[in-house]
Amino acid sequence: MELSVFDLSKYLGVVPETIERWVRQGKLPVSKKGVNYRFHTSELQKWAGKHNIYLNLSDTKKPDKGRKSIIPLSVAVKNGGINFDVQGNDVNSVLEASIKRILKIPDDFKPDLLDRLVKREQALSTGIGNGIAIPHPREQLRYLHDSIVSISFLANPVDYKALDNQPVSILFFMLCPELKIHLHLLSALSFCLRNHEFITFLNSRPDPDQLIEKIEILQNKNSI
Amino acid sequence: MAGSIAGICSGLAAVALRLSLESVLEWLHPLRHYWWAFTLPAIGALLSSLYLEKITREGAGHGVPEVIYSVSRYGGLLRFRSSYSRLISSFLTIGSGGSAGPEAPVVMSGSAIGSNLAKFLGLNDRQRITLVGCGTAGAIASIFNAPIAGLVFSIEVLLGEWKFVNIIPIAIAAVAGAQVSQAIIPEQVLFTHQPFDIMFADIPASLGLAVLTALISVFFTKSLRQVGKLARKNSLPLWARAIIGGSCVGLIGISMPLVLGEGYHFIQSMISDTFSMGIFLTFVAIFAKIFATAMTLGWGGSGGIFAPCLVIGSLTGIAFHKTLFFFLPSASCASQGAYALLGMTGLISGVMQAPLTGIFLIVEITGGYEAILPLILVSSISSTMSQYIEPASFYFKDLMERGQFMRPGTDARILSDLSLKELIDINYVKVSENMVFRDFINILKLSEQNFFPVIEDETQFYKGGIQISSIRRYALDPNMYDMVFLNQIMDTEVITVSLEDDLQDVLDIMDLHSMDNIPVVENQRFIGMIAKTKILDLYRRELIMQTDIK
Repeated sequence: MELSVFDLSKYLGVVPETIERWVRQGKLPVSKKGVNYRFHTSELQKWAGKHNIYLNLSDTKKPDKGRKSIIPLSVAVKNGGINFDVQGNDVNSVLEASIKRILKIPDDFKPDLLDRLVKREQALSTGIGNGIAIPHPREQLRYLHDSIVSISFLANPVDYKALDNQPVSILFFMLCPELKIHLHLLSALSFCLRNHEFITFLNSRPDPDQLIEKIEILQNKNSI
Repeated sequence: MAGSIAGICSGLAAVALRLSLESVLEWLHPLRHYWWAFTLPAIGALLSSLYLEKITREGAGHGVPEVIYSVSRYGGLLRFRSSYSRLISSFLTIGSGGSAGPEAPVVMSGSAIGSNLAKFLGLNDRQRITLVGCGTAGAIASIFNAPIAGLVFSIEVLLGEWKFVNIIPIAIAAVAGAQVSQAIIPEQVLFTHQPFDIMFADIPASLGLAVLTALISVFFTKSLRQVGKLARKNSLPLWARAIIGGSCVGLIGISMPLVLGEGYHFIQSMISDTFSMGIFLTFVAIFAKIFATAMTLGWGGSGGIFAPCLVIGSLTGIAFHKTLFFFLPSASCASQGAYALLGMTGLISGVMQAPLTGIFLIVEITGGYEAILPLILVSSISSTMSQYIEPASFYFKDLMERGQFMRPGTDARILSDLSLKELIDINYVKVSENMVFRDFINILKLSEQNFFPVIEDETQFYKGGIQISSIRRYALDPNMYDMVFLNQIMDTEVITVSLEDDLQDVLDIMDLHSMDNIPVVENQRFIGMIAKTKILDLYRRELIMQTDIK
């Protein structure tokens, strides 16, 4: 196979000017001289081996692992589902009641998950103000296949020790198999929650389909 | 001063080996006629390998690559026992008839003497390397009675750099070594010969010979390595290998005695035109000698390839001469002896890829300059050609495969000299994995760090790292500040290295993953960071210092 100066410069990670200087100084094996240099791959491999240079001539690039499993917020909400009139009058009881209604979590793991969520709330409240909290565990949940964002509308607002000391009535459960997705979803959600229109919309306890549609619109508009 | 002592000592060692070899050869001579004579090389190889393995615990083989490696990596540090172990083992191998040369062992022993002398005098690395070169030069000069060849070999093959500070002591050592040898063995040159008449017709003929010797040397190098690999592959114990190898050599030796031992007598007879073998038989002898040498060295014997090179070279020269006369009976060429000489040069230059050593050695051991023009021709063509086919010489091949071939001023050498300890930046603020993102942002505001190692609270173990560039989008979103702890945002997949890693490997990892910084983690604790900018800094300074001409 033959390569041009431009191809080779990409493989070696240097600019074409460097390649041209190397050819001029006789440092590179060149198969065709003249205006357009050409290089033989077999000769280049030999040269690279001799000079202890890392040269990867195959075009296959490693698939970007992190990006692949990242899903948009709206899909995560669809996975998690939306529950209305969740009962309870303190932090622990609303958490427990909400988890019971999240279908995607295997029953065996529910007590453990509750434990983790409570611990997280004790370390630092996840109430971010405006009557909204984002309960989540600090660890990744490897038993989950997909990332879940489950929304619980509480029957009665509870004191959540939120930043603005307001009682909380909406919970966004964020449960992810990987920390990277968690960060991404958290950032997306935080973006949505900065939108006052969206918060007013939430407080009107909208229909699940409408809510997901609204999230999709916000997502697409801001490409997050 | 120290150079001359090293030269004399190593010269003595070389003379001792040579004299003892001669005497044992005479002593064993009557035994050669018995039917069981073929077991002699086996016994010798067996004793030699057992001696190396059990008593001195050193590997078999010839030892020159080890010296080169030690010179480039450890400032020429060699063990004292190396100064006699190879002498004894190669004495056992060659004395019993194994096909090998006494030169590499005396090089090993000479350089070990030089190295230990330097240790005794408390000299620094550079001076020790010079003394190792002195020991080598003395040994070669003494065994061949050839001071210039000793000097050139030591610098060309062993040290790899021509520096004034090296050349003068090494020259003194070489002369001292040669004088010792002359004083003890009063003979002027190793091989005597009648004067040659080199004619014009010899020039094109020597071109042809050069090509032939290049091919033969590549074949010799390859077969040596292949047979050695074969021996390592099978699961036989060491002593069994030595017996098999030795017996093979012994069996060949029955029908063709010239393959046995170092073969100096046969070289003498070939140079002085008293060699009588047909063309076909000569060719067979070339390959028999190659095979015998490979069996001896590859299967557990101990010795050098210098003398086998000379034997094969002179055989090649004679075979070429005979073929030439077979086709062109009226050619006005020089005698067989002259071609034997040229063949030797060709093989030495081809196998070691050291053209100067080839030229000077042959000029000196035969004491004649009349053949210098064809010598230079054969030597340069042969070494260039074999280098084209096989880029690494026999001595360097193993080292190159292990990535241990490091000449001064080369990339590999500089990278191996610099250790991670010199490059590491340890002034890094560590953060706890339980820290809230908001606190981290406050630290970030006051810091210039681009990477934060995250550690566990109780154990202080390293858990992951935070690269500022990858958290930028979260750092600009105040809503996130109270929502995440650092353990949620840190990257646990950052590749780390440890302090013992080679800089070469570290750089390869950084290149592969296109990183500019890499964390160093030792026993699960974060030590510091290696940055490419810092590497360039020190690399350049090191390069300037190593290539500086004083």
